Order: sequence, then structure tokens, then C-alpha cells
Amino acid sequence: MRKQECVAMLLAGGQGSRLGGLTWKRAKPAVSFCGKYRIIDFSLSNCTNSNINTVGVLIQYKPFLLNSYIGLGSAWNLDNPNGGVHILPPFLGDSEGSWYNGTANAVYQNYEYIDFYDPEYVIILSGDHVYKMDYSLMLKFHKEKSSEITLATIEVPREEASRFGILTVDGDARITKFTEKPAQPDSNLASMGVYIFNWSTLKQALIADAGDYQSENDFGKNIIPQQLNLGKRVYAYQFDGYWRDVGTIESYYHANMESLSDGHFLNIFDPKFRIFSNEDILPPHFVGSTAEIKNSLVCNGCIVHGKVYNSILAPGVYVGEGVQINDSILLPYVKVHDGSVIINAIIGENAEIMNHCVVGAEGRFAPDQEGITVIEDYHIIPEGSIIEAGMNVNRTRTI
Amino acid sequence: MPNAIGIIFANNGYACLQGLAQERPIAAVPFGGRYRILDFALSSMVNSGIRTIGVVTPHHYRPLLDHLGAGKDWFLDRKAGGLFILPGVMHSLAGNNHTFCIKDLEHNIEYLKKDFVENVVISCGDQIFNMNIIDALDFHNDKQADVTLIYKENDYFGDLTDEMFLEMDEDQKVSSIRDQKGLEWTESGRPHYVNILIIKRELLLDIVGRYSSFGCMSLISILTKNMEVLKIYGSPTRSVIGTISTINDYFDQNMDLLDQEVRERLWLGADRIHTKIVDNPPTQYTLKAKVSNSLIASGCSIAGEVLNSIIFRGVILEKGCRITNSIIMSKCHIHENAQMEYAILDKAVTVHEGNVLKGSLSNPLVVHKSSVI
Repeated sequence: MRKQECVAMLLAGGQGSRLGGLTWKRAKPAVSFCGKYRIIDFSLSNCTNSNINTVGVLIQYKPFLLNSYIGLGSAWNLDNPNGGVHILPPFLGDSEGSWYNGTANAVYQNYEYIDFYDPEYVIILSGDHVYKMDYSLMLKFHKEKSSEITLATIEVPREEASRFGILTVDGDARITKFTEKPAQPDSNLASMGVYIFNWSTLKQALIADAGDYQSENDFGKNIIPQQLNLGKRVYAYQFDGYWRDVGTIESYYHANMESLSDGHFLNIFDPKFRIFSNEDILPPHFVGSTAEIKNSLVCNGCIVHGKVYNSILAPGVYVGEGVQINDSILLPYVKVHDGSVIINAIIGENAEIMNHCVVGAEGRFAPDQEGITVIEDYHIIPEGSIIEAGMNVNRTRTI
Repeated sequence: MPNAIGIIFANNGYACLQGLAQERPIAAVPFGGRYRILDFALSSMVNSGIRTIGVVTPHHYRPLLDHLGAGKDWFLDRKAGGLFILPGVMHSLAGNNHTFCIKDLEHNIEYLKKDFVENVVISCGDQIFNMNIIDALDFHNDKQADVTLIYKENDYFGDLTDEMFLEMDEDQKVSSIRDQKGLEWTESGRPHYVNILIIKRELLLDIVGRYSSFGCMSLISILTKNMEVLKIYGSPTRSVIGTISTINDYFDQNMDLLDQEVRERLWLGADRIHTKIVDNPPTQYTLKAKVSNSLIASGCSIAGEVLNSIIFRGVILEKGCRITNSIIMSKCHIHENAQMEYAILDKAVTVHEGNVLKGSLSNPLVVHKSSVI
């Protein structure tokens, strides 16, 4: 086995409960994004584009669809003889086994995996962020600063700063203070959840953290503050591209919709930094003679007979005659039958809207979640249903 | 897994298609928005479970090899078997019709010798079809046939010059293979052979051994000569759509894809047509886009008007342009207010502002690869 300079550990175990019905059957990283992609495509493609070819994917929650999607990693050119993509679920050790209890614990439990490749550096990634980033530049920065830990950071609007891990840096970009979700943020430099560690530093930190019973075993909450307190060389690498955390329905919806706007920073059309995906093989999409499509993204295999405005149609979507779709995201293989109207909604994979339904109708009360309606994966909405804006339609609630 | 290997003759067909097949073989001509014509033969074999496929290369084989790569997109990058490139003979003679030429097989006899399977499925590479060969293979085994020819009850009244017709008894045993000479138009409804056959491997080796010294003979003419001693059967198919031998065939068969029924038969069923994956982003429609009755591949950016057309991958249509009854291949860029009707644009054509290109239904205008207009 060839020694690797840098091994990536991709945290993909989150349940993503705030995405509601979209994660009923799958982990958050396997949720469809921007039509043909799935959220994990971005992190995996970043690895490929950064020449990192050993990626451990830490999984836990409903992993089947994610596993089959990743496969051998060949869709991202990661089926490499010296490395490759490895799915790392929780496992049984000599004495005992346990679930991954926090992000740091997940990596700690797999330290033998990392040791096997004996890397100089370990990069910790999150499987639920949408961004294009060349990690090799960050690694270069890490080496130049003789850093032990480097955090990728991004400037966020001040009013939103309290949602993130906020850090303060000195003139040399060395981090002096790190606070997770501060009430009174004293800067707007947020951690992106992308860390490069020297493997020796990380190993020590993980062992110390595992012995601390009060720790929540989380990188942001525990490991980084602990290491700062120990006086380790922790630096901030400033990233100035497009980056979105798509952990909630609102942020997921807006990040998708941003891809329709002109000044979109996440240029999916850029041939030099391609986002790969493991797509189904589908024919070109067909636009019928009664169709009208404006300001939208449409994927392969779609059949469109209705009107589609400001919307995203993922692969294999069917839009019947007389249908109107406004400001909505239709995930793969959704079927919308004749005469239905869909406004401001996210329709889960394989869901089916029968004839003459209205999804996202104006209701009597002020709607929740900015009026975004969410239909769960595989749900069938019976003929003539009217679903009010802001509702989450899922298995437990019948309509 | 069927007891068969495949050979696709990507070197048959000699039409130039008004330049579309000038720099590339017909098998590598783009078709239907994202495919190459060869994809149909290749996918049919792969979907039938055949995992060892040899492709006989034609005169201009660079585009073909570029497209095929290691065969990964057809699941043919395998430890045992997989995709084999079989160099065809007579590279210098483009323009000859080498339908199943014995010389090509002799040249690649190792491919046939080193496998252990019983049968070889042979297909040409210039037909548009999606056909599962399993039924025909079962039929072939049941009848203990030496050769099974796939035929179609003819519903095609076009050019019959190259068609071969079969005469069969009630047991489907073929008694004669003949061309159209002497046949009346009214007789053209009879079964015609569609350039796909199944043959016992040992028999094929024997034929190649015996006939290799005769120069460029076609397999079919040898079978015809030995009709008496061989057990040749015919097996029907409903799936073949057509051969592409003229620019009109090409244009019409592309346009047929705008028909829902044709698409269902060809590529919306369980057996998919596989092709080289490019990982394009979704197609982007702007506020100015106006698209109707058209087939549009991924990675396009559409701001103009498109009617009854087929748009390949990565095409840019700027605002005010108008595309009617046309085929626009990948990476074309149509600038503002350009118009085209009955045009076929080969790959990477740029049409500058305000130009008007017009062909007609019977004579579509073909624009060569990478032209700038």
C-alpha cells in the first residue's frame, strides 16, 4: 500500500432531520441537488479536482442509497488503485462496538483506517455542503504556515454569524479565538467545517478527546477549542468562493434556486472544475408542443407538456398537460399529472401528484418555513388534493 | 448470461451522409441528442447479457475509439472478456461496403479462437434499434440451428437496393436468401434480413478457414452458397427501426424520435441505450426561451426559439435565434437572431448573428464540423 500524503475523511452520517421528508429514505448527503447532482457530489468532486484520491466516507444513518450511489467511486474518478473511496460504517471491535457518537468520535473509531495509509495530513470534510473548492491550495497554505490545524473559513453576513462557528484571527491568519454559534459574534469569519490536521496532531487530539467523558466528541465544539487552549498552531484559510450549508428546508431551497440566477458563483458549467455525478442513463429530455419553459433547469429523461417557470426539474421528471409549476424543485422521477398546479414547493423523489391538485395553495394562516411546501419522497397525492403553502406532507400526517 | 460473444462490424455502410460520415464512420455519427449510432448495437448486445464484444474498426476509426474508450460506459471494462477492438482490414479503401467481410474475421481470428462460447452474435453498426437478443438465442438453441438470421416483416417501403429477403418454411427454416432483383414492389412486405445474425462459433471458424483465400467475401454470400448443408433459421424481431444509408434516413429517423411511440420503443423501456457519459450540467432555459416539440440534451443554454428540433449536448442558443425542423449537434453556438430550417449542423458549428440557413425536407442542409458561418 502506497503511503498517501493526504487522506480525506468525509462525514456523511448525519440524519439531516431538518430536511424532513427528503431524508425519509436516504442520508442527507444523498439528497438530490440542483437537478442532476446529489449533495455529496460536491465534496467528492472537490477531492478529485484537488488530487486527493483516498476518501473515507463515514456513514451511519440510512446508508443504503448513499452506498449504492457512491459505489466504487468511479463516477468521480476515485476508483484509484492506490486509494479510492471507502465506505466506513460503525463496526464491532475487539471488546465492543458502538455507534458514531459525534463527528470526532466517528473519525476516532476509524483511526486504523487512516493509519493504514500513514498520511502526513488528514482533511476532514462534510458531506452536506455545496461548494467548489480546491483543497490542494488549502493544503499548500497549511504547509506554508507550518500549521498544525487549518480551518477553512468564509465571511458570512454579520446578522447570520451567530449560526456558525465564528473565529478571530491575528494579522498572520493565526486563530486566537473560536466560538461555536456565539450569541454576540465578534467577527464575521465563519468556519466552513473543512479542517486540515497534521495526522500526528489529530491522533493525539482524538485520543485525548475520547478519554474526556464530558466531551460531545464534536470537531467544532470540542476538538478545535481544546487544541486552541493547548496553544497549537491553528490557522484560518480564507475561502472566497460560493459555499452553502444546505441543512434546512429554507437553505436547501434557496441554494437550489440560486443556481437559476445569472450571477451564480457556483458555476456548474465550468469545464475546468467539473462536478461529477453518478447519473442514471437517460435519453435527452422532450419538450412537448404545449410546453412552456422559462428560467429553469431541466435534466435528461424529463418529459414536459406543461408550463414550467423558475423551477428545477431533476432527471426523469414528468410534467403533464395543463400543469403549472412555479418556483419549485422537482426531485428525480417526480410525476405531475394533468392540470395540477405547484407553487413554491419541493417535491420529493418518485413522488406522484395526480390530476388537478394544488400544491402550495394560499392558506388561512401565515405559512411556516417561508411558505415552502415539501412533499416527501415516494408520496402519492390523490386527485384533486389541495395542499396549503408551508406544509410538510409526509407519512405520519395524512391529508 | 448467454452462451455467446458479440462482433459488431462498425465498418459497414458506405454512405457519406453529405459529409457527416466524411471524417467518421457511420457507426460514430451522432444521433438522437446524445448517442452515436453504434451505441444502439452495442447496448442491445450488452442489455442481452453479452459481456465480450469485438468491434471491427472502419476506415476512420479515431472518433470511434474516442467514443468507446475502455468500454466502461457499456460495462465492458472487464477482467475476463469485455471490449475488444478488432482492426478491420483494407483501411485504405473507404467507400467499400464490407458487410461482414471474411477477411476482417480472418485478421482477428484470435478473438474467435480463444473464447469457449458456443455462439457468436454478429451485428452491423449502422442501424438504429434496441433489441434483446435473448429470445433469438433461445430460438437458435431450441432449433439447434447453425445460423439464425434476424428478420423483420417489412413495413418499410423506401430504398430496397441493399435489402436481402428470406424465404422460409413453416418451421422458420430459411430456404433462400435473395436480393430485391425480380421482386415486385407489392412483394416488399416479405421478411427481410436486418444484418444481425447468430452463428455457431465453430462453424464460423470453419468458414473463415475455408474462405479466407477468396479475398473479400461477405459472410452472407457464403451462407447463401451453402444453404443446402447448413441449418439456417429465421427469427423475427419487431424492434428494428432502420438502417441509415442516406442523409434522408438520418434526418427522418432523428425526427421520428419526436414521436412518443418511437421513443417508447427505442429508449424508454427497461433496456436503456448506453453511451459515453460526459457529466454535463442540466440544461438552462432563460426567460426568452421558447421550445416546442423538441428533444434537448443536457448542458445546453437556451434563450432562443426551438421548434420540432433535436438539440445535442452543450449547445448554446442565444436570444432571438430560431431553430425549426433542425438537428444541432453538440457544442454548436448559434448567435443572436440567426435562423435555421431543415438544417443539420455537425459538431461545434458557430453561426454568427443574423445568418439564415435553409434546407428543405427532402434535402436538408448539412453544415460541416467546426464551420463558422
